[in-house]
Amino acid sequence: MVRTSGLKKHFTDPKTGLKKAVDGIDIEANPGRIFGLLGANGAGKTTVLRMLSTVIQPTAGTATVAGFDIVSQPGDVRANIGFMSSSTALYGRLTSREVLEYFGRLYGLSESRLAERMKYVVEKLQIEEFADRLCDKLSTGQKQRVSIARTILHDPKVLFFDEPTSGLDVVTSQTVMEFIEEARDLGKTVVFSTHIMSEVERLCDDLAVIHDGVIVAKGTPQSIKDLAGEQSLERAFLSLVKFQAGYVSSRESR
Amino acid sequence: MNNVATIVRKELREMFRDKRVRFNAFVMPIFLIVLMIQMFGFIMTAATGATKATVYLVSGSTQLGKMIEANGLNVKTVPTIEAGIKLIQEEKAKLVLFSQPPTTDGQIKLEAYFDPKQQMGNLALVGLQQAVSAENKKALVQTLQEKLIPEAAAEHIKLVPKEVKIGEKGAGQLIVALLPYMIVLFAFSGGMSMAADLVSGEKDKNTLETLLITPVLRNDIVLGKFLSLSVVCFLSSASCLVGMVLASMLKTPATKEMFNGGFGVTPMAAVTIILLLIPLVAFFASILIAISSYAKNPREAQTYLAIVNFIVIMPAIFSQVIGLTDFGNKLWINFIPVLNTANNIRAALLGKTDWTAVTITIVFSAVLAAIAIKVAVALFNREEVLVRV
Repeated sequence: MVRTSGLKKHFTDPKTGLKKAVDGIDIEANPGRIFGLLGANGAGKTTVLRMLSTVIQPTAGTATVAGFDIVSQPGDVRANIGFMSSSTALYGRLTSREVLEYFGRLYGLSESRLAERMKYVVEKLQIEEFADRLCDKLSTGQKQRVSIARTILHDPKVLFFDEPTSGLDVVTSQTVMEFIEEARDLGKTVVFSTHIMSEVERLCDDLAVIHDGVIVAKGTPQSIKDLAGEQSLERAFLSLVKFQAGYVSSRESR
Repeated sequence: MNNVATIVRKELREMFRDKRVRFNAFVMPIFLIVLMIQMFGFIMTAATGATKATVYLVSGSTQLGKMIEANGLNVKTVPTIEAGIKLIQEEKAKLVLFSQPPTTDGQIKLEAYFDPKQQMGNLALVGLQQAVSAENKKALVQTLQEKLIPEAAAEHIKLVPKEVKIGEKGAGQLIVALLPYMIVLFAFSGGMSMAADLVSGEKDKNTLETLLITPVLRNDIVLGKFLSLSVVCFLSSASCLVGMVLASMLKTPATKEMFNGGFGVTPMAAVTIILLLIPLVAFFASILIAISSYAKNPREAQTYLAIVNFIVIMPAIFSQVIGLTDFGNKLWINFIPVLNTANNIRAALLGKTDWTAVTITIVFSAVLAAIAIKVAVALFNREEVLVRV
């Protein structure tokens, strides 16, 4: 489970001053469900996922991941999460097998457990035929399969996906989405950030629309459409974002 | 420590598979040392040969020609002074001699024409001056003997050089000037090609975040990267010694000229060099890691590294000419980073290791390395540095 309360991340930019990348968000993602963070570029999705995966610390607020606090128990949080993004590269001068073994050891798997998990992910993601090829020599789709294998190698309870299909072709995107669905079916807690509406409609059980670092709507995809009074999620999203801006403008004009 | 060992193994595996690292860190120092030793040896041989160069004698002084030949110089003749000067202008002759008729008191004036801007001409003149001096001395001794005056009167003060050997047999002067500089230089530049990739490269390729979300402590990540970089810096530096061995095995006149003072790298000198290198390499590796952590991407890192490399080269260059001063024996020199190590390596190669100086240098370099690694760790733990893109 992932739960946040008033989570904030403020940066000080020497040129523009204080930037509120994330400004007090509350979300709850549960096991066996996919939680989507829907927002435009720069909305704060990646910053939220970076805080939840303990890469950066929140300015304020709290969050727990798999029952561990992200600030006081970062090591326990990291041991229970898997993180994947389409922009994450592999080590080009290592083979797929070496990459997986490297991360398996860093996650503290014993040699026997590592061998067992390696066998599982290599078979599951059909990596065997290129397992001993340098990652630099792999196709985009093969690289993505290795990335997925790396993400689930240590069998984490919580999975974070940061725009995992961005820039991928249709076939590779399909592999990634199938994998996310399978993770949900295995009872994992999945938090998934995207700006692609079709993916949200296909994958997400729960959804938060994030805009300028704040959540403007929360619920199931259907409830969000209902809230916006729109038939499609895309129109609902645009309406919600505009609604917020219009809301502020109308208040200011009063 | 298991995590650190895992990171070191992975980094070293990646580095040794990288052609740039293999070339810059290992092939380059060996190639440069062999090349420089052959080049300097060739220059030395040529300079020695220039003092025994061919001189052109304007026709008409057979006696003088025999005297010059007797002193090891080759003699050719030209018909006139003008013809000789033309040969100098065309760079076909280094030195042209014209002998004036003897004066009434028997002195022969020998006019030597040469181009003062040409080093070979100057060197040929030095050779001729030695020959003339030897001939004058011979004539004086003969005169003194005829007048029954003791030969010693020709040389009121006789200078007798006596070499004093201190410590072990050391290397030749040129090796001593060249090797410490190269050892220190490659301890830094050998690691440069991979340093940019180590952290800033991982930021650029977005592999760093995958590493940061593992349960491994960030300090362990830095330590693993630091240790693997130290290994490469050390091996790159040690490759200079391999280059020395290879150069000494070449059967060329240049090798003979360069190693006539001895090979210099005795077992004791090798141990001293290794002891001195360990803290220096740690210091350099920490600086490289700190720069790589601070930079946004490898290109930015390369820019910073080029500037720092220049700063490192400065004291290393000074170590080449420190033998022309007496600074090498001063205590304070052991507190100047980089130069202290180069100076102590120089002393070790000369067979004059001063263990007090070596100890001070090692301790001082270790303190600097500790400070630098602290800075590198602090930078690596700053999220605005680590995740900025």
